[in-house]
Amino acid sequence: MRKFSIKWLGWGLVLVVGVALWAATRGAKPQAVEAQTTAVPRTGIVCTSDASPNPTFTLTTQTGYIILPDGNTVFMWGYSAGDSPFQHPGPVLCVNEGDTVTIVLQNTLPEDVSVMFPGQEEVLANGAPAQPQFDSGGNLTSLTNVAAANGGSVTYSFVASNPGTYIYESGTNARKQVSMGLFGALIVRPSMGSGFVYDRSDSQFTPAEEFLVLLSEIDPYQHQAVESGLPFNINNYKPRYWLINGRGFPDSIADNYASWLPAQPYGALALIHEFNDTLPPSDPNYHPLPGMIRYVNVGTEDYPFHPHGNNGLVIGRDGRPLAGPAGEDLSFEKFDINIGPGQTWDILFRWYDAEHYDADTNPVPVTVPSLANMVLGQFFSGSPYLGTKVTLPPGSQTLNQCGEYYIISHNHALYQITSWGVTMTGPITYLRIDPAMPNQCP
Amino acid sequence: MAKNLTSNTITRRDFLKIAGSAAFLTAGASIVPHYLRRAVLPEEVVEAQGAPYDLYYAGTDGWISLPPTPAIPPFHPDNLAPPGLTTYIFGFRNVSGMDDIRKNNQKNKAQHNAPVFWVNQYNPSSPVDFRMQLTNLGLALRPDLFDAHTIHWHGFRNVIPFFDGEPTTSVSVPTGRDFTYIYRPREEGTYMFHCHVEDVEHVHMGMTSLVFVRPIQDGMTSYYPSGKYAYNDGDGSTGYDREFVMFLSEVWAEAHWADAHIQLPEWSDYRADFALLNGRVYPDTLAPNSPINAAQSVHALAVETDANGDLMTNPGYEHLQYQPHSSLVTCQPGERVLLRFANLGFKESAMTLTGIKMRVVGRDATLLRGRYGTPTSYETNVISCSAGESYDVIFEAPPYDGSSGLGYDRYLLYNRAYARSNNLASGGFGGQTTEVRVYPPGSLASQAYPNDWGL
Repeated sequence: MRKFSIKWLGWGLVLVVGVALWAATRGAKPQAVEAQTTAVPRTGIVCTSDASPNPTFTLTTQTGYIILPDGNTVFMWGYSAGDSPFQHPGPVLCVNEGDTVTIVLQNTLPEDVSVMFPGQEEVLANGAPAQPQFDSGGNLTSLTNVAAANGGSVTYSFVASNPGTYIYESGTNARKQVSMGLFGALIVRPSMGSGFVYDRSDSQFTPAEEFLVLLSEIDPYQHQAVESGLPFNINNYKPRYWLINGRGFPDSIADNYASWLPAQPYGALALIHEFNDTLPPSDPNYHPLPGMIRYVNVGTEDYPFHPHGNNGLVIGRDGRPLAGPAGEDLSFEKFDINIGPGQTWDILFRWYDAEHYDADTNPVPVTVPSLANMVLGQFFSGSPYLGTKVTLPPGSQTLNQCGEYYIISHNHALYQITSWGVTMTGPITYLRIDPAMPNQCP
Repeated sequence: MAKNLTSNTITRRDFLKIAGSAAFLTAGASIVPHYLRRAVLPEEVVEAQGAPYDLYYAGTDGWISLPPTPAIPPFHPDNLAPPGLTTYIFGFRNVSGMDDIRKNNQKNKAQHNAPVFWVNQYNPSSPVDFRMQLTNLGLALRPDLFDAHTIHWHGFRNVIPFFDGEPTTSVSVPTGRDFTYIYRPREEGTYMFHCHVEDVEHVHMGMTSLVFVRPIQDGMTSYYPSGKYAYNDGDGSTGYDREFVMFLSEVWAEAHWADAHIQLPEWSDYRADFALLNGRVYPDTLAPNSPINAAQSVHALAVETDANGDLMTNPGYEHLQYQPHSSLVTCQPGERVLLRFANLGFKESAMTLTGIKMRVVGRDATLLRGRYGTPTSYETNVISCSAGESYDVIFEAPPYDGSSGLGYDRYLLYNRAYARSNNLASGGFGGQTTEVRVYPPGSLASQAYPNDWGL
């Protein structure tokens, strides 16, 4: 149903204004994270890290609000680094293989909370093995040791012995607390180097093209109940929103730390350059390594995520490389990354124009129709060719900046790319492929 | 224009080139309705003359038939449906070779699933472009909408946005216009395609189907006697004797009703009232293919059409006029049968074959092998195929038993997700269910096209 042109125009304005705001504030890194993040790239993973081999993180529970694509806002709980204000999702913690990682949980919420580290072994809580908690009647109260309500604290530690992508999340009243947002991603970088996913030479990637796809869902009635201090019957649980890195499209493609999303710092746009391993290494467009995506599902449903035109090579899942007993590579390509609840998948990808189409030397073998005869997308350059931007017919508008390509990625359980009735939102993002350098891209 | 260097015979494209040029010359512009003439700019005419298509699809709306009982009031059956039909759809039709009048007659006559099509893997040593032309006939029941359409080949690697059919990054095709997608499929296997315009709606409404790419290795009989393969396996491990497309889709009755009645559904309430296998629900899945013109089924199943271009159907199966694809699997003992699954529903299907093990040889158009050749194919009796996934599965037909007295042995292939297998009927079985029938040796002719029964 074509009824959203006004909305698109609106988002176009939001983006234009947003870019202007970003430009105005780009020198001012968000202060709250300044202490712990070394740099804030516009796209890609923003790591929160601390000195190896004994990184220590304080996670403080906070409450706040996030903005959803239909204009709604929803009350959330979250983990924040140190005394930073509320953010969603929790900070992406990056450590090195072999590190002894210490996490101090400070609880400001009116009920006990905790942090689970699925995939980590021999986790300690206050120096003793972390344990499920039971009340005096033998009833399970938490999957792990808690920080008591209203100011309690607990210190977890573990040795990050296996590289890969992990989840951290609440183990207490999880159907409420995880749904409310008490989760985040944990990345363990291998001893082989930060440019590798695992301790395998065939897991090397382009560090500037490392991306997070953290998928989640929200039932607004549950959040309203928590905000109002009312009970919520989990049997009535029904997600109405689905998010990528804590945002819905089109917010998902805004920059990291976009100023108009103060509590949703993580963008999902994947800005890359064309794969090319045939040019001489001195060429600025030599780009011989794949990009990398860390998929994380912190929801309760399968999320079959579909990157267009760009199969993912699945090289690991849940923090283990796909390899046989003798190290045989058991990776596989997928065009549909079907991650289940609680799973993480590590993906390598490379994008190039398989046909090397070029306006002068290798034009597309079809007459390009008059653009006045077509419906034009809001990211379309007007040209089939990478790096070519043409003047569009009067009345047409585009957000395309320099002839770059955009290629969509989205959840293919398509009811999951809606926001309580607003279609074409939710877990949608794009590969943005910038033209060969030098280019005119901002 | 690249020629097919592998064959001296007249290709379908050659035929269409001749036919298309002739049609243009004889029909001329004078019979084009004025409202269409306005849309045809000179350069498009040049394209139509100089670059015929391999396939020509049209997007429009239409109606299909799902079991009318039990009813889901007020959504199913739809009270606006023509006699014998129940459910409003958007869909595609194959209008290859039709003149403008017959083509435009197909408005409001969409089928589901869309015509399955297949392409030979692009061979750089004898390069052939595959040209898929798309037009948009408009929506007869919803003239208030002006939705464009596209074809998105789901899973096509390293495509440029221009040929990806994703409307925000490229162009889409408004009513009365045409666009030609060029495909050079460099990786064989099973894919799917759909309209990507407002795809929550257009996909669910039925503008979906399966496309597969035949490997360059095809025709080489040294690996497997039939010379037919799912992949360039180099060892015959994906060789097969018969192939059957198993395309999975779903119908949420309320959403289809809403489009017919100028309403909007709340998509987060989504449910699959009907789970469809090749566009039908059991037991219609066992009904024959609509009459197929095998000679014209070079790149897609060509259903016979009447003088107006409308789809022909089999006597007794008039309700399946716009659901032409059978799902019945026929085979003989010892034969290898390839099932190509692809799911464009929104839920995971658990396709279960009783009594015969299946070997998964490919997934998402990828041969199951590690990067350095370690085999990773596996045997199973349940194919858990999620939204947007494809599976290539081979089983070997067991010996003929004959004890059923039917003249064939019968094995069931069904969706183990029972809540989507019962057509909402109490105790009944339906949805994505079909049969594998093993006939005595020598009973079946070889297949003339995918899903051909050979009977």
